[in-house]
Amino acid sequence: MEKTITATKTLDVCGMICPYPDMDTLATLKKMGKGEILEVILDYPLSLERIPRNLTKQGHKLLGTERIDGPKHRMFIEAYGLK
Amino acid sequence: MSLIVLSGLGVGLVFGYALQRGRFCMNSATRDSVLLRDYTLLKAVGVAILVEMIGFALLDVTGIAATAPKPFFWGANLLGSFTFGVGMVLAGACASGLTYRTGEGMVSAMVAAAGLAIGAFYTAGGFMNPIAKTLQESTIIKTAEGGSLTLANILGVPYYLLALGIAIVAIVAWVLLAKPFSLENAAARTKAAKAKGASHGWGWMTTGIVIGLIGIVAFPLSAAAGRNYPLGITDGWIGLVKGIFLGETFGWGTMLIIGIILGALVAALINREFKFRVPTSGVLFQVFIGGLLMGFGAVCSGGCNIGHTLSGLPQLSIGSIVATLAIVAGAWLTSHLIFNVFRKSPAA
Repeated sequence: MEKTITATKTLDVCGMICPYPDMDTLATLKKMGKGEILEVILDYPLSLERIPRNLTKQGHKLLGTERIDGPKHRMFIEAYGLK
Repeated sequence: MSLIVLSGLGVGLVFGYALQRGRFCMNSATRDSVLLRDYTLLKAVGVAILVEMIGFALLDVTGIAATAPKPFFWGANLLGSFTFGVGMVLAGACASGLTYRTGEGMVSAMVAAAGLAIGAFYTAGGFMNPIAKTLQESTIIKTAEGGSLTLANILGVPYYLLALGIAIVAIVAWVLLAKPFSLENAAARTKAAKAKGASHGWGWMTTGIVIGLIGIVAFPLSAAAGRNYPLGITDGWIGLVKGIFLGETFGWGTMLIIGIILGALVAALINREFKFRVPTSGVLFQVFIGGLLMGFGAVCSGGCNIGHTLSGLPQLSIGSIVATLAIVAGAWLTSHLIFNVFRKSPAA
């Protein structure tokens, strides 16, 4: 993970049930401009695999995922600019 | 407690481990296919059903375990399973999903499980029972001999032949129609994710095969314990309520539930995925209501998504086929209403 990534916006979906982490992430990305970076903090293992699978369908780009602690992860996504 | 009842705990431990590693949830499988056009979990469910179809056919033809298809009562199947489908979207998990996530430390799953157990308990024997019972008795359709209606006895062919035939045709069609499946790509993605230190579970093929095999092994063991059916979730939760509050002895199904929770706990601990996770109180209320609906629906229809879809569909029971379609209809309608109509912008 490059340490230089600075997020334009942070979304915390910890504790949320299926599939809110995915839906909230995609909905937030939809409102962001091209090249803006979204940081998602999540602790739901299924979404951790499912979000990367579905981002690319809308043109967004996963920059990286890192573990914070236990199931809690931080994910950086570059928005495609659907706004 | 006899050794054979204890085998439920063993099967549960393996099942719980596999559910957690495969993130196997039929609510996600059904809902993701329409909401996200993501078919990953649906493929795992498909593989598991096909593996069981072959396995149950072999158990049947060798006489190890004869099929025990669930009855077809169309009114109870339609209403119960539709309600179950609505409930599981509200709960954010199917019956197996909320059981394994309880072991992962998700408080939302524990609350949904409590709802399911209470709903199922009062429908199986309490004040909700007359609704389910009347509906079941007034809409039941049996064979001339009084047995459960299946595709095999409607067509008049032996079960094992039809099951093997359907499974082979489905597998051939899948292989021919599917885009070339690249094991290399999947392995590379998993490796890349692991290299970065992020969590990663099993792929859909592994998940489907392992869960299908567990279902096959479960059948004769459960039958030997006097519970003549493969995997199921709801009866185990009812048994847990009866054991804790009425002092009844745990049966095979309840040992299975306890095993699933412990197996998922072990899998989550090994893979650094265990944590108590608490959502907002609004979400807790929503999942509890979802759980209640699931409990009522499962008992009314004679089974949850595991009893009907995973275990009943491979036995070609008409009741399970109708129940599966009703679960899918309830889940699709509810996801569409929640995520496409009412909730267009994120709450966060």
